[in-house]
Amino acid sequence: MRRLVRVEWTGAYLDGRMPVRCPAAIRLLRQGLEITLADGRVLSWRYRELRQSQGFYAGEEVRLERGEPLPEALLVAEPGFLVSLHRVGREAAAHFHDPRRRSRRLILTALAGLGAALAAAGTYFWLIPAAADSAAGRVPVAWEERLGRAAVEQLAPPGTRCTDPEVARAVDTIMERLSRSIPENPYVFRVAVVNDRRVNALAAPGGHILIFRGLLERAKSPEELAGVLAHEIQHVIRRDVTRAILRHVSAGLLLAALTGDPTGAMSYGLEAAHALVSLEYSRQTEMGADVGGLALLRAARIDPAGVLSFFEGMLAAEQKTPQPPLYLSSHPSTLERLVRLRAMVRETPVAPPLPLLPEVEWRTLRLRCGGPPAGQKLPR
Amino acid sequence: MSRGITCPRCGLVQLAGPTCKSCGAALGGPARPVGRPGVQPAAIPAEGGKAPRPPSGAPPEIRRLSFHGAGGSLFGIHVVNTFLTIVTLGVYYFWGKVRVRRYLFGQTEFEGDRFAFHGTGKELSLGTLKAVGIFLLPILLLGNLPGILALPWWVDILAGILAYLLFLTFLPMAMVGARRYRLSRTSWRGIRFGFRGELTTFLKLFWMGGVLSALTFGLYYPFFETRQQAFFVENSRFGTQGFDFDGNGRELFWSFLLTTLLLPFTFGLSWIWYLARKRRYFWEHTCVAEARFRFPITGGKLLGLYLVNLLLLLFTLGLAWPWVVIRNARFACRHLVLEGPLGLEAITQQAGEASATGEGLAGILDTDLGLGV
Repeated sequence: MRRLVRVEWTGAYLDGRMPVRCPAAIRLLRQGLEITLADGRVLSWRYRELRQSQGFYAGEEVRLERGEPLPEALLVAEPGFLVSLHRVGREAAAHFHDPRRRSRRLILTALAGLGAALAAAGTYFWLIPAAADSAAGRVPVAWEERLGRAAVEQLAPPGTRCTDPEVARAVDTIMERLSRSIPENPYVFRVAVVNDRRVNALAAPGGHILIFRGLLERAKSPEELAGVLAHEIQHVIRRDVTRAILRHVSAGLLLAALTGDPTGAMSYGLEAAHALVSLEYSRQTEMGADVGGLALLRAARIDPAGVLSFFEGMLAAEQKTPQPPLYLSSHPSTLERLVRLRAMVRETPVAPPLPLLPEVEWRTLRLRCGGPPAGQKLPR
Repeated sequence: MSRGITCPRCGLVQLAGPTCKSCGAALGGPARPVGRPGVQPAAIPAEGGKAPRPPSGAPPEIRRLSFHGAGGSLFGIHVVNTFLTIVTLGVYYFWGKVRVRRYLFGQTEFEGDRFAFHGTGKELSLGTLKAVGIFLLPILLLGNLPGILALPWWVDILAGILAYLLFLTFLPMAMVGARRYRLSRTSWRGIRFGFRGELTTFLKLFWMGGVLSALTFGLYYPFFETRQQAFFVENSRFGTQGFDFDGNGRELFWSFLLTTLLLPFTFGLSWIWYLARKRRYFWEHTCVAEARFRFPITGGKLLGLYLVNLLLLLFTLGLAWPWVVIRNARFACRHLVLEGPLGLEAITQQAGEASATGEGLAGILDTDLGLGV
């Protein structure tokens, strides 16, 4: 059987001292290689002293190195050398690459690909949410506040805000009454009205809340605005936004790891704060904020009927126009939430509400930031 | 090997000379000519700093790189790396990086021999760890702590300036460190490349260049870039053989100016044209021994490369990354030419130490220098 194995090979020897290829005749032995150089010298290398650094792919020259840190090397370009090496050396040569196992390598690579896909999916759907949830609870309020300020300054630079003092006073009064009713509140809330006709409101981490002019104009009473604000306050207190940003950033890091671009993650992370508008809340998060918001309204003794009528107005607008208001598109399943809120308001008896901003002429106040939204009829 | 003689003591095959290059034993050969071997000093015509030409009549020796890598193989490596990186929570990343580099170097051939990368994952991970500890943490702390601790505004500004200065120190350190590490871990025919540039020299060059560029509203920039290139090339060596650079920023200045002025009208695309011009110029002024490089690429070729790469990445959501890497390597190998005699017989091994901290720092700061191609 051994006769069939070719033991004589030719290659080149590099001494690690000069960049000169020295032709070499190689003889495969049981325990090692016998290398005869062109100048007549004979080298004897044992298999276990050698390591293979090249020749793992078809058509690639095999490179065996010996010694540290500047190794001598033997180069063999003839195909079939590694197979013969394994046949002759057996266990002693087991640490060299075996071309006969390349199909196995292909299968292992495919399995690794499958594993990577599964691991990525597991990371995305389970590990990242879990880690982000756990981390969001531990982020110091001061950090949230910084992040929120940066995000708000990006989304609504001072020039785009409505600076009407009466609007500001009314909003402050509502916020004052709401935040007084939050037990152990670590946040200082800052509400800004953005001069934008879209109907939208959003919370940034650390107590920053943006109300778009369109939403203010659509609110038929101070109680309606208070309902929206209570909801956004809940997002802040529950750290929903911080959690969403953390998830977003981690998902970006994962993506960067998958595509082999670790530095792309950096810009992705920075961009995350700006993507605040497009962050989607899950149904659960929304329900939580609804329930919490309702409880907050009760604690502040503000009529919860305002929230209901706000949602009803939004739903009506949604059915009228093919494109729903922005506030709805980022807050899914409006009808379901409305039904649930109605049930909650009905079931729980409350102390009679105290009037909110009785001295304010709301119908004119809500329009003070600008004209009526173009192309839209104001609700009565 | 017919020209070589064998040392009776250590057995080293070498050019005939009075003593052995390795062990110093007497060989009895003729004394080597002073200066560069292989070329008679008197035979070199004075050509005003141009590349020395071979003696009249003989055609110039032309050497090229060839690249054998395949996107499929690299993709396989990448898949396994990704899997192991996820499973080890990121630790394997550095070992994966080494595997990719080993593959790429091993697939690059020059004069029938392939390059080899000798770095290890352990080195890289420790280097990165050190870089994070020594360099990144202070910058992050300086940049963020004052705001978090609600310190007075002037402390915030002072810390910000300090962090920026630190960054401006670490960036050149990373550039030099990464260059030193990568070259010292690269070999061809068993001989290591190396880098002997001093950090202090480069720090001075970098700061001066930065300040001058700012003061001249960027007009100094091509000079700055050329001086950096000169520093990196002139301090690089292959074994005992150094590289030379004779470029001058003046010759890039007008194309730089024109490119910059055209930027708004070409949607930034003129920059690619300048990039091609710069690389061509830098390589054409790089010499090793008696040979000179040429890198005849045009802005159009470079634009084509980038455009297809971009489309590949976009339409595969980044999965085509291995093919993009292979395309870049092929592009470089297809165009890079070395012209003239090399005198390899006169080169011997000269290895130096280098830590991977600079490499780690470069990885963090994203100054991926490559090897200049």
